Amino acid sequence: MPDSGYPWPIETTRLDNGLRVVVSEDRAAPAVAVNLWYDVGSRHEPHGQTGFAHLFEHLMFEGSVNVAKTEHMKLVQGNGGTLNATTNPDRTNYFETVPAEHLELALWLEADRMGGLVPALTQETLDNQRDVVKNERRQRYENVPYGDAWLRLLPLLYPPGHPYHHATIGSMADLNAADLATFQAFHATYYAPNNAVLTVTGDADAAEVFKLAERYFGAIPGRADIPAAPDGRTVPATGRPAVEQVTADVPAPRVYVAHRTHPYGSPGYDVVTVLATILGNGRGSRLYQRLADGERIAQPDSVGAYGVDLAHAPAPLIATATARPGVTGQRLAAGLAEVVDELATVPVTAAELDRAKAMLSTQWWRQLATVEGRADALGRYATQFGDPAKVGERLPAWLAVTAEQVAEAAAEVLRADDRATLTYLPEETS
Amino acid sequence: MTLIATRPGPGAARPYRFPAVVRRQVAGGQVVAAHLPGQNLAVALLLLDAGAGREPVGKEGLGGVLAKALEEGTAQRDATAYALAVEGLGTELVTALDWDSFQVSVQVPVDRLTAAVELLAEAVRTPRLDPDDVRRVRDDEATALRMDWANPGPRADAALRAELYGAQNRWGRPMYGDPDSVAGLDVEDVTVFHSEWFIRPGTLIVVGDLDRVDLDALGAAAFAGAGGGPVERGGPIEVPTRTGRRVILVDRPGSVQSTLRLGHPSPHRAHPDHMPMMLTATVLGGAFTSRLNHLLREVRGYTYGVHADFGAARRFGRFAVASGVQTAVTAPALVEAVGEITRTQAGGVTEDEVAVARAWRAGQLSVELQSPRAIAAALTTLVVHDLPDDYHARLRESLLGADAELVSTAAATHLRPDALTLVVEGDAAVIRDELVAAGLGELVDHPG
Repeated sequence: MPDSGYPWPIETTRLDNGLRVVVSEDRAAPAVAVNLWYDVGSRHEPHGQTGFAHLFEHLMFEGSVNVAKTEHMKLVQGNGGTLNATTNPDRTNYFETVPAEHLELALWLEADRMGGLVPALTQETLDNQRDVVKNERRQRYENVPYGDAWLRLLPLLYPPGHPYHHATIGSMADLNAADLATFQAFHATYYAPNNAVLTVTGDADAAEVFKLAERYFGAIPGRADIPAAPDGRTVPATGRPAVEQVTADVPAPRVYVAHRTHPYGSPGYDVVTVLATILGNGRGSRLYQRLADGERIAQPDSVGAYGVDLAHAPAPLIATATARPGVTGQRLAAGLAEVVDELATVPVTAAELDRAKAMLSTQWWRQLATVEGRADALGRYATQFGDPAKVGERLPAWLAVTAEQVAEAAAEVLRADDRATLTYLPEETS
Repeated sequence: MTLIATRPGPGAARPYRFPAVVRRQVAGGQVVAAHLPGQNLAVALLLLDAGAGREPVGKEGLGGVLAKALEEGTAQRDATAYALAVEGLGTELVTALDWDSFQVSVQVPVDRLTAAVELLAEAVRTPRLDPDDVRRVRDDEATALRMDWANPGPRADAALRAELYGAQNRWGRPMYGDPDSVAGLDVEDVTVFHSEWFIRPGTLIVVGDLDRVDLDALGAAAFAGAGGGPVERGGPIEVPTRTGRRVILVDRPGSVQSTLRLGHPSPHRAHPDHMPMMLTATVLGGAFTSRLNHLLREVRGYTYGVHADFGAARRFGRFAVASGVQTAVTAPALVEAVGEITRTQAGGVTEDEVAVARAWRAGQLSVELQSPRAIAAALTTLVVHDLPDDYHARLRESLLGADAELVSTAAATHLRPDALTLVVEGDAAVIRDELVAAGLGELVDHPG
């Protein structure tokens, strides 16, 4: 077992305004990754404002006090960099990887939109990006078969009022109602230095980054009273399965089985991560062997199981399969449920466990093979667990999971009476 | 609040480094490797001259079926035992296919690389290809394509390709085939394609910490039992030029977006204008601040994004623009896109635009080439297109030397706005009249 899943150096500091700065030097490539995790996601959105955290992420690329509209993208790409941002229920992250000589530019850009977004925010920009986001919703969720599965699963798993009840993309009605003042307030509330972690990895040394962080971010005031998201850690079991059946323009029946498990980062979720790999990752997994190969009721490319790595409430485990021609949704759902149920009753073999751990090891190192992958991991651990160095504990924790723990976790969190099942059926063709 | 108003300039530029390339003849095949000291992961990729371009007309999708059939058991073990052996090393067999090559690869912690390559070779060289398994895999692949073709995009792509190159040619048909072409394959098609193309040695690409890798042993494993020499690959294909634009409407009832695919034929990969064409497409629709993305997304709000590129294989190429726009703005989006392509062709690009494009493309050669997978892909480009070891360093220099005149000349020469085919996959009942009224070209309803 490796001592650590993170063999690179990690150095940290905290500015007076509360901004945490994490640096991990590696001179292998002449590039640096700059990454900001803001501890705000769709879990913070009140009723009627779904989709706001994500729409806000778009606004962050539209200019700030010293950066004209469109200039942010132009400066990063025009200096050889890549950039993007993502929003999920837990958090919002912004990241760019640039040739190492442009580190200071990236920090300047990030500081300017952390400290100076509001004066540059206009109604025109909001209206434009609202249209862009509505098109994103159409493209990713509405115009593709099964595209709304995630939107349907969340309310089956989490009750109204729970921070994970609604999807990050939000509803069209809420997006239409978004007004400028709300977004100005959103920035003032959540985009404070003490609600963020700045991580720099790659071709830069810590002392230099700390000095630059102070220069560019040091004058941005912290905020004392950042409101917390609703607490979602306890989700009472309903004691009855949640079932939804959708008839839609889809090419074949598809079933999703979902459970609430444990929050990402907890020992329980480490077990679930290994369990998900045994259940549904690869041709040697139980779902593949039983449904795609054995009974041959599922399409081989369609079976899978994975945890969704959310840290602020019991995270979902999702198993899915799509029917082979001639197989009904009902039969497929029964087959899928049976394989999931058996995790608690049919002991996991040493070979299954070893296979899962080997695959997880490769997956882990693949994520950390680039400076941007490392920056995001460090930002996550600093934000969610208070210490970036805890990143090194994850892989050893996975590798320490036992077959008994997998069976216990299955019995605890995969109970049939606390299961959400979503089934898509093709429309009848006349 | 005192944010610093002045934008900082660059620090000291780092010298460009592409990993040292090692080429070696081993056991009748070629090994091409790159050294990444200290990397925990390694990649091995077997590159075969068995791309979609080798499939006979009417047999589209053959390579994809064979790729899946490789994992249905080997001369040594059945499918389940094979899966457990490969995944027990922490890897999976990853297959990929393009017009020019078939690739099968593994990515593993470096100490397991030899074992993984042995398993890779076992599947590629000695697959069981039991007729019942091959038929089942074929049916599954046809189903998988049917699933894929239920999404917006594949039908529009196929319509564009057929229009550009002619459906009577292999390169005028979908690279991965379509549900019907795959369903029509038989066992013999698969076994013959295997014996013809998968026994030749090919090239083994290796990327990782070469101090911990035995390249000779890897080559010996990859090329064991292989035989046969290279086969003539054929020169560039003459593609007739259309005159006049054409709109092809692919019906997708109830669609909330229209999927747009605009294109025309363009030169093959080895054309001397390849680099300035890349920059032309970057200015027009490659970078985020490109003309098309700026206009259609940031100004008009019609789309989540739009992209343009010159795609080039060894024997042919095409210019294409791809986007998804809200149904209600289909015709105006097309008019704007054609207008921007026309302006770029006629008026060229600015020095400011080229500065962004060249710096971005050059920077990508540092920023994007970090992981073993990315370096393996870069080595694959060298091999498939017969490029020298210092290709990436030279490309970087030539990109940085490009100016507006060079790129404008490429735009004038290689963009052909009047020869565009405009494929629109959307709700025909809603958009058809508008498309006709827009007068962009003759409108043809796509059958099926």
